[in-house]
Amino acid sequence: MAGRSETKKLLAIVLAVVAITLAGGYGMAALRGDHPGRPPEVTVVIKSKSQSMEFWQVLTEGVYVAAKEFGVNAKVVGPQRETDVDVQIDILKQVIREKPDAILLAATDYNRIVPLAEEIDEAGIPLMTVDSGVNSDIPRSFIATDNVEAGKKAGSKLAELVEGPAKVAVISYVKETATQIERERGVREILEADERFDIVGTYYSDGDENIAYETTKELLRKHPDLAGVVGLNEPSSVGAGRAIKDMGRRGEVKLVGFDSSIDEVRLLEEGIIQATVVQRPFNMGYLSIKTAVDLMAGKKVPAVIDTGSLVVTKSNMYEDENQQLLFPFN
Amino acid sequence: MNLFRFRTIQSNIAAALAFLIVIMAVVMGFIAYRLSTSAVQRTAQEFTAELIKQVNANIQSYVNNMENTSLLVLNNRGVRNYLSGESDDDASVTDFLKTIMLSRKDIASIGVFGYNGRFVSDGGIGNMNPNVSVPDQSWYRQAREGQGKVVISPSHVQPVFDDYRWVVSLSREVRNADNSRGLGILLVDLNFSVINDILSGIELGKRGYVFIVDQGGRIVYHPQQQLLYSNLKQEKIDEALALGSGSFISDEGGQSRIYTVQDSGFGWKIVGVSYVNELVNNKGQMQTSFVTLGGISLVVALLLSFLLSRNLSRPIHQMQKHMSEVEKGNFDIQVPVDSTREIGMLARAFNLMVVRIRELMAQVVKEQEFKRKSELNALQAQINPHFLYNTLDSIVWMAENNKSAEVVRMTSALARLFRASISKGSELVPIRNEIEHISNYLTIQKMRYRDKLDFHIDADDGIKHFLTLKVLLQPLVENAIYHGIKNKYGTGVIRISGEREGETIVLRVCDNGVGMDEEKRKTLLTPGASPAEGRGVGLINVHERIQLYFGAAYGLSIVSAPDEGTTVVVKLPAVDKSGKEGES
Repeated sequence: MAGRSETKKLLAIVLAVVAITLAGGYGMAALRGDHPGRPPEVTVVIKSKSQSMEFWQVLTEGVYVAAKEFGVNAKVVGPQRETDVDVQIDILKQVIREKPDAILLAATDYNRIVPLAEEIDEAGIPLMTVDSGVNSDIPRSFIATDNVEAGKKAGSKLAELVEGPAKVAVISYVKETATQIERERGVREILEADERFDIVGTYYSDGDENIAYETTKELLRKHPDLAGVVGLNEPSSVGAGRAIKDMGRRGEVKLVGFDSSIDEVRLLEEGIIQATVVQRPFNMGYLSIKTAVDLMAGKKVPAVIDTGSLVVTKSNMYEDENQQLLFPFN
Repeated sequence: MNLFRFRTIQSNIAAALAFLIVIMAVVMGFIAYRLSTSAVQRTAQEFTAELIKQVNANIQSYVNNMENTSLLVLNNRGVRNYLSGESDDDASVTDFLKTIMLSRKDIASIGVFGYNGRFVSDGGIGNMNPNVSVPDQSWYRQAREGQGKVVISPSHVQPVFDDYRWVVSLSREVRNADNSRGLGILLVDLNFSVINDILSGIELGKRGYVFIVDQGGRIVYHPQQQLLYSNLKQEKIDEALALGSGSFISDEGGQSRIYTVQDSGFGWKIVGVSYVNELVNNKGQMQTSFVTLGGISLVVALLLSFLLSRNLSRPIHQMQKHMSEVEKGNFDIQVPVDSTREIGMLARAFNLMVVRIRELMAQVVKEQEFKRKSELNALQAQINPHFLYNTLDSIVWMAENNKSAEVVRMTSALARLFRASISKGSELVPIRNEIEHISNYLTIQKMRYRDKLDFHIDADDGIKHFLTLKVLLQPLVENAIYHGIKNKYGTGVIRISGEREGETIVLRVCDNGVGMDEEKRKTLLTPGASPAEGRGVGLINVHERIQLYFGAAYGLSIVSAPDEGTTVVVKLPAVDKSGKEGES
């Protein structure tokens, strides 16, 4: 009967209208970016949770600011000391069991953490590295200071400060550490290319201020005509600075340091350290979460993200842009 | 669009209703959603403004405290004397500053720096940073230029003291007692952490935040200051500065932000930033519930419209069913009268119509029956056995008297009479035939009655082709002879005339017989009132036949008076063979 098929047609139109309306509503809601359901969990495994490690404290702050902005549940874990590789391995194992939606890792060791990266990959959790990478292709992105570039900046600054021809030296920290290798490469790239300079050598402090102090004293005695020193991290720079100060060589031996601390700031103000290359840990933390969010959203993320570095001198250290890098408020 | 064209009323009504409901639901839903969204947004905005005001009040109170503290120091004679060199008692000034500090946890340090190089702070001189030149500090320079005006710095690290604290500095020039010259600069540092604590504790939705800029556009506080400096983020500082107090919305699509600006009164602007899509915190939820609610009401409304339209069309359907019954010929039905007014009226009218049709059909049947009966009567009249017998008797009588010529005349008239009446079975004949018929009949009668009867026929030639009923005149003539002339003394004359009057043909049968009185005349054409003797039976028969064929406007009428004769007037419509109207 015609009436029956007509009723069916009517019903079909009505259903279609209802379906379109509902779909439209939900589509609109989806387009507006309302994500129902739980926020993604991201775990950040850093090298040190110690309150005294300003770099990691500021990075953590950046992580939380980004987490708030992007609606991510971020958790920051890590060993007490940067050298606690085994502790970090244990922490990573625990994190894998918790199965977060993404892991951000600042590896305490370039090689020993690789098996853990593989485990993370097998668990199907996207992995990104922050600040310190691992010797593996697994991480989707590496968010860190371009240390070669930072090293070049330090080298260029020293070349600017020392007239030459002159002898210069590099006080590094832990040999075979990825960051130190890159920084040294950057420094050497600049200074070796400059005929005025003779690099007497690279000396390792093992990240110990006192070793740096003693090494520099020794170096200054051995090479009284040494005109420039580059300290590749905070303890190395402070140790070298103290040695120059104690040897009464303030101003004669130019020192370009890395990172910052109250001690380093004092040396900078005293004119013992002429410049220090600072990183941007806040941005590093912020960008690492932002990258993780992009990755989870299925976007393509760059393999390497440079968070940048900055040369700070006595004259510009109290400028708005720099004082927060030198003096994080805590 | 063929998709939306329906054949049944029900579908049409349902579709129209559904369409209306959908439109209404969408429009109403949209309006309600917009209204509630803007209401929520307004509330949130008001809340933010209130919050920012509160923050401003808090910060203001800290700044006021600093200012009060500075006044305390400025008005201290010991401080002035020490700066001007009138006194060397730095210990009492330090004690004085220390006393102030004891009551003020939010103040980080107080220092007085004389233009003559003297300086004193709450910590004595031991905590000074030897590597920093105080006169180079911007708060120092600005206060000196200000000549006693209060200068409030953005947040900064205070390098003068060697604990490198984040502070907000209030500085102003200390002037001598008669205000004629400056003696030095007073510095009051507010622990920035107190402001930081206020601001970082504020929740403006999940992602909102508060920042402060000074009048120069320098950031006093921003939770993402470093991102701004490294250009990872942009902040609408210029717009906030341009606005005194109030709010504006940045146009960033889904990431649009509402800026609520509050001028602090001492150069800072406190700006609350909240995300539009977050202000309406449960926007998605609201959308979902609106859509769901809309969907449910839609389905319910559509069902209702479906039922309603079915209810409306059901009686129509029912009636249509009954009508098709009628179509098939069943008139013995009545549609149940629906309660709905229009449909009920329709049903009542339909029922009446069916009844009327039934009655008309019965009438038609009756009339047909009567027609046949009257034809039979006419036929009988034609071959009246009496007439035949009398005629034949006359012929026999004439033959016996050897009046052969008359026998021939009469016999041939009889033959013509019968032949004329055999008119191909048709009920209607031209008037010409009828005239011929009646003249034959009268010829026979005249021969029978001899001197007692004479007749004249005088019909217009113009009417002879019009039609009349067969054997119409014979009963009238018969009547005139048997009831009018037969009882009369002397010769009776019958006149038959015919003429046209407009669209009517008028035939008259006129006798000069005995006539009748008015009473009798009246009863003649009234059915059932005919007298027993039979006079008038033929008249009524003719009258009814005419009316049956041509309608009530036609028929017979009688004019008569006693002893004066009778005239029967026949009225017929002027119908000829070509215009066959009236023949049913």
